[in-house]
Amino acid sequence: MTLLELENVTASYGHAQVLHGISFQVGDNDAIGILGANGAGKSTTLRAISGMVQVGGKITFDGTDITGFRPDKVASLGIAHVPEGRGTIGDLTVRDNLRVGAYLRKDKKVADDIELCLDLFPNLRERIGSNASALSGGEQQMLAISRAIMAKPRLILLDEASLGLAPSTAQNVYRAIRRLRTEQGVAMVVVEQNAMLAFSVVDHAIVLETGSTSLAGSRDELMGMDEVRRAYLGG
Amino acid sequence: MNNTLAKLAANTWVRIGFAVVVAVVLVVLPLVSSKYVNYQLSLIAVFGVAILGLNIVMGYAGQVSLGQSAFLGLGAYIAAYGVVEGWPIPLIFVLCAVVPAIVGLLVALAAARLRGLALAMVTIALPIIGIPLAKRLREFTGGSQGTTVSWLRAPEWSGLDHDQWRYYVVVAIAVLMFLLARNIVTGRIGRAFRVVKENESVAIAMGVSPYKYKVLAFTIASLFGGVAGFLYLGIVQYTSPETLSFHTSINMVAAMVIGGSASILGTIIGAIYFVFVPNLANQVNPQLTALVSGAVLLAVLFLVPGGIVSLPRRITQAIRAVRRRAGGSPPETPQSPSDRVPAPATTRPKSTEKKNEGKRQGQ
Amino acid sequence: MEYFIQLVIEGLATGSIYGALALAIVLVNRATGLINFAQGGMAVVSTFVAYALFNAGAPLALAILGAIVFAFVLGAFLERVIVRPFERGDPDTAVVVTIGMFVLLGGIAAFFFGYEPRQFPSFFGLETLNLGGVFVSLRSLGTIVVLAVVVVLLQLLFRGTKLGLAMRAVADNPESAALSGLPVSRLLMIGWGLASVLGVIAGVLVAPQLFVSPGMLDFVLVYALAAAILGGLDSPLGAVVAAWFIGVIENLAGAYIDVIGNDLKIAVPFIVMIVILIVRPQGLFGRKVVVRV
Repeated sequence: MTLLELENVTASYGHAQVLHGISFQVGDNDAIGILGANGAGKSTTLRAISGMVQVGGKITFDGTDITGFRPDKVASLGIAHVPEGRGTIGDLTVRDNLRVGAYLRKDKKVADDIELCLDLFPNLRERIGSNASALSGGEQQMLAISRAIMAKPRLILLDEASLGLAPSTAQNVYRAIRRLRTEQGVAMVVVEQNAMLAFSVVDHAIVLETGSTSLAGSRDELMGMDEVRRAYLGG
Repeated sequence: MNNTLAKLAANTWVRIGFAVVVAVVLVVLPLVSSKYVNYQLSLIAVFGVAILGLNIVMGYAGQVSLGQSAFLGLGAYIAAYGVVEGWPIPLIFVLCAVVPAIVGLLVALAAARLRGLALAMVTIALPIIGIPLAKRLREFTGGSQGTTVSWLRAPEWSGLDHDQWRYYVVVAIAVLMFLLARNIVTGRIGRAFRVVKENESVAIAMGVSPYKYKVLAFTIASLFGGVAGFLYLGIVQYTSPETLSFHTSINMVAAMVIGGSASILGTIIGAIYFVFVPNLANQVNPQLTALVSGAVLLAVLFLVPGGIVSLPRRITQAIRAVRRRAGGSPPETPQSPSDRVPAPATTRPKSTEKKNEGKRQGQ
Repeated sequence: MEYFIQLVIEGLATGSIYGALALAIVLVNRATGLINFAQGGMAVVSTFVAYALFNAGAPLALAILGAIVFAFVLGAFLERVIVRPFERGDPDTAVVVTIGMFVLLGGIAAFFFGYEPRQFPSFFGLETLNLGGVFVSLRSLGTIVVLAVVVVLLQLLFRGTKLGLAMRAVADNPESAALSGLPVSRLLMIGWGLASVLGVIAGVLVAPQLFVSPGMLDFVLVYALAAAILGGLDSPLGAVVAAWFIGVIENLAGAYIDVIGNDLKIAVPFIVMIVILIVRPQGLFGRKVVVRV
């Protein structure tokens, strides 16, 4: 069942149009990657879904047209966006960041889910009382993902999770994301410059080039293409 | 139509011609106007100089100053004292410029290192401390009642009335101050001010010391304030602790913004606003004045943020935008987009803002 | 000795008034990142509402309650309608906008009520207590207690409730807060509404002494700003401590240092503030500002 569908979505920052008609679908349990070079429009696509930029076209989530909905409204429908640059709430402690993630929930299982996150990211357990701004880049990324998990979303938008992280840390983060996929079965849209990392989590992907889709296919199909290998997988 | 206007404005001969026309008008005006009108025009010149100083430190250099009235008052008091003591007028003029400048310099030396708002607080302190001080130092200031001093009178040989002579003296000095200001802001110092206002880190990288230029801006503003005070006493012939009032400072800031900050012409418009609007409002209904002032300031900030002086530009921009939309031409800004360009539609997270606060210290 | 204690307590009482307004300023600064010069104006208009309600026959407590509700709505309204467009822009423009509101609100008060100072009753009555030789007015004590209670309540709100958590999140990172579903717009309005309520509490507490007039809080506002900055703009506790400090030294200097006397004592807090800021630019409790290029 299609969970998220983008139909000919355009996006602009002021007068500058950045996306020129992107379309793709994400199923209930799917994970799709958005690859491409710097400036191709990958993060903008996620921002378009979250209502953080001016959009055109149509975005449907679970049957509802969410085109242009405000970010908090989009979040309330079950989409958790882990923004580029982590977006942790620096002044708040790790624990408080997680509580913020669970803000919209009315159930009593919040404490259990905090445990789940700490289990997924053991580094955070030691830092549970520290201010988020005191965390390292990798820890902040883990915190940001945890905050998204706390919302018990149906879809997670992951924006450049490996950005600015040492390779080993990035591997760590993606290992946890893989675990999340297999254990919780959350649908995901993963934006990544590092195609290898992306492919460790997603089943298929689209490749963006200056705001349009240049390639699309399953993981195997794409990994088999020369262009993809040369550009993103280092030959 | 706009292009022809622009070309006309750039033409040197047109500019000279325009200046000549303005000069002629300025010279002839007091001869044909009533005493009341001349008084108002003189006041505009006085506050024009004061607001000009404010504009230099606040509009161009980006430092909030809410204490300009203190320098105006100080200048007026110095002039009053000097006249009573019988000092020569040129000496008094120099003192009215230099003493407030020194005060401003000292204050700025101490305060310019503070974050933007703390500097504003220090400037607020000036009227707050100044008023009781003025009341206290009765021998110099005449205490709460203030002093009435009349020193600017038309000499016999001019054949002019007092108000006309006063107008000429004040306007002449004001014109000199405006020329001085124009030289400052269009020169190296003005460019330095702009860089400091824009981004202090960039200024440092360019070898421009924000501290030094903030102090300079503040000193210049104080000097202008003092000169304005000198002129003020000449026209109003009375000064009291009320002259230093905090509300006057605020009204000057409002007038500056309404006229147009970082603009010489805007200062003149601001001075006209400062003198006329509260007067008009007072005549209609004194309880209405503050309401109108606040409403006008907010209206300007919402509708014409650059001040009234930017109105022509906005109108031409609007006309151009309408024409473009009607003509269906492509948008003006074809930039290569980047994923990392922060969207104007979104909000900036505070955590990064706090870290960048150092950058924007030119508050 | 008794005189000294009296001065200190009076100083704490006036300091509490400054503190309430300083808290409001810090609150607004943390939530929306700007210094609200209109805090005083909002409080004055709301205090006039209390005055009007009381004069219309309402019992004092009810009049004050009505003013509190009005203040909350006013604050929320002003944030949404006037301040919101300027929150993400140039801080200097935002300051001028709040100055504009300050003038406008004072003008509204003047338009409806004129400049004549009006009498307003003290919520705590007029008694003076004699505590072992120290004469303290009930009003002063009451003021200090009210502020202490307000501080405790605010702490409870911010540390112990979901709303407080949400407000803290929005104050620090509104974008991320929105992505977690927090209703950012509503929370900003609540922040301003709360600050406005703090302001009217200050206004109502000081009204018996200063009388109700459009300019009644002008000086209080300036002191509150000084206290907020001295405390280090992002620390509520710092603002209150600084406010008490200012109130006390103002009183002590006025009484004990002859050359200062009663009229120049208002200069003392400023001089102290300037000296402290030169030595410690981030204020007493503020964080050191890191300059990242």
